[in-house]
Amino acid sequence: MTAIAPETAKSHSGFLLEPHWAEITAITPEADGISTYWIRFTDPAEQEAFRFEPGQFNMLYLPGFGESAISISSNPQDHEKIGHTIRFVGNVTRAVSRLKVGDIVGLRGPFGTYWPMKEIEGKDIFIACGGIGLPPLRPALYHIIQNREKYGKVTLLYGARTSGDLMFPNEYAEWRKAGIDVEITVDRGDANWNGRVGVVPMWFYQFRIDSRKTAVLTCGPEIMIRFVIFEAMARRVPSESIYVSLERNMKCGQGSCGHCQMGPYFICKDGPVFRFDELQSFFNVEEF
Amino acid sequence: MYNKAEVTRELQKIPWFKEIEPRHLEKITDIAHLRHVRAGEVLFREGDKEDFLYIVIEGRVALDIFVPHRGKVRIYTAEPWDLFGWSSVTPTIHQRTAGAVAVVDGVVVGIDSAKLRQLCEEDHDLGYLVMRRLTNIVASRLLVTRLQLIDMFGSPEEKNAK
Repeated sequence: MTAIAPETAKSHSGFLLEPHWAEITAITPEADGISTYWIRFTDPAEQEAFRFEPGQFNMLYLPGFGESAISISSNPQDHEKIGHTIRFVGNVTRAVSRLKVGDIVGLRGPFGTYWPMKEIEGKDIFIACGGIGLPPLRPALYHIIQNREKYGKVTLLYGARTSGDLMFPNEYAEWRKAGIDVEITVDRGDANWNGRVGVVPMWFYQFRIDSRKTAVLTCGPEIMIRFVIFEAMARRVPSESIYVSLERNMKCGQGSCGHCQMGPYFICKDGPVFRFDELQSFFNVEEF
Repeated sequence: MYNKAEVTRELQKIPWFKEIEPRHLEKITDIAHLRHVRAGEVLFREGDKEDFLYIVIEGRVALDIFVPHRGKVRIYTAEPWDLFGWSSVTPTIHQRTAGAVAVVDGVVVGIDSAKLRQLCEEDHDLGYLVMRRLTNIVASRLLVTRLQLIDMFGSPEEKNAK
């Protein structure tokens, strides 16, 4: 059982298995094949009651297609709307891509553990993420910005395949203004890209990380996470100060079906956010 | 032009050079020069003769490869304390395999590759330190290249949860 979130699945009562209906109020294209869907519950009381913690996810339901676990990418303090940044890669999400403003979807949640924003207060925060790994961390960034005085030096090291794949580029200036060191890299650049080229883990050498007081938060492709952890631990960041958000094929959202099992954990219930020392013994094991 | 003291001062900022004995540092400084580069300035092109190993002191230098129908693809950027053009120190590669262009104004140190190789041959203690450093660089580049090859953002069917 994870130690970082006493309430592992902080779901709203009645939301566990039965979807509640919500209307798409806006769609923001983010990159090729990725958009943010802004939704509101059709029942105003449900909308008013909905709360989530940074890092949690919802199960999005489309009748006739099924459900998909989607992390919440919006501001936890914005109670007017809920944002889900979705990559159209599966049966359900491809069907979502055909939806338009005004359409109705089903929603269950929020589910899962969350970034330990309270426990890491007073620390430097080093966020290393890649690709679609930024959306589950955006609520944490909003939380930090709203509580900036509670955190030390905050660095966001974010990478994507190309500059066109970067998520939320219009927000970087605002994040920098709020005292976050936003560092961007891409795997492949063209002649117009004057920023960094190289994978996320390789850039650790450019930052001074005080291992005694830094918490590392990471999310993205699992191969990237592995090497982010490698770099963090090479700088003596203890595994207890590294937090990882994992993704697996989640179905029920409450640890009943076993689809998302990883070792002794169900990612949907015991995760998606783990403290790395909990995963360490089988994280590099093949086939896990 | 920069004098030798300035080159020495810049090299001493680099952690690796702090490990090097003064007599070895002096030998390297003798074959090194500082170069100011402007954004957009090309340091070398693919196919050029290998002549210098470079270390970035300030700024950012992109390595690029020309791909037909795609133009120049930037495959790597070097930032302060990083090396580029390292293959020029190996005895077998005689042509640049990528181009290098400064993407912002900066300063680099260029070290004459042939002379560095010669120094390493003459003084194996220095040669060991240089080759150990280059081995670390090559290992790091190999890892980065592997991760780029994997195209870790490119397995969409496996990524249906976020």
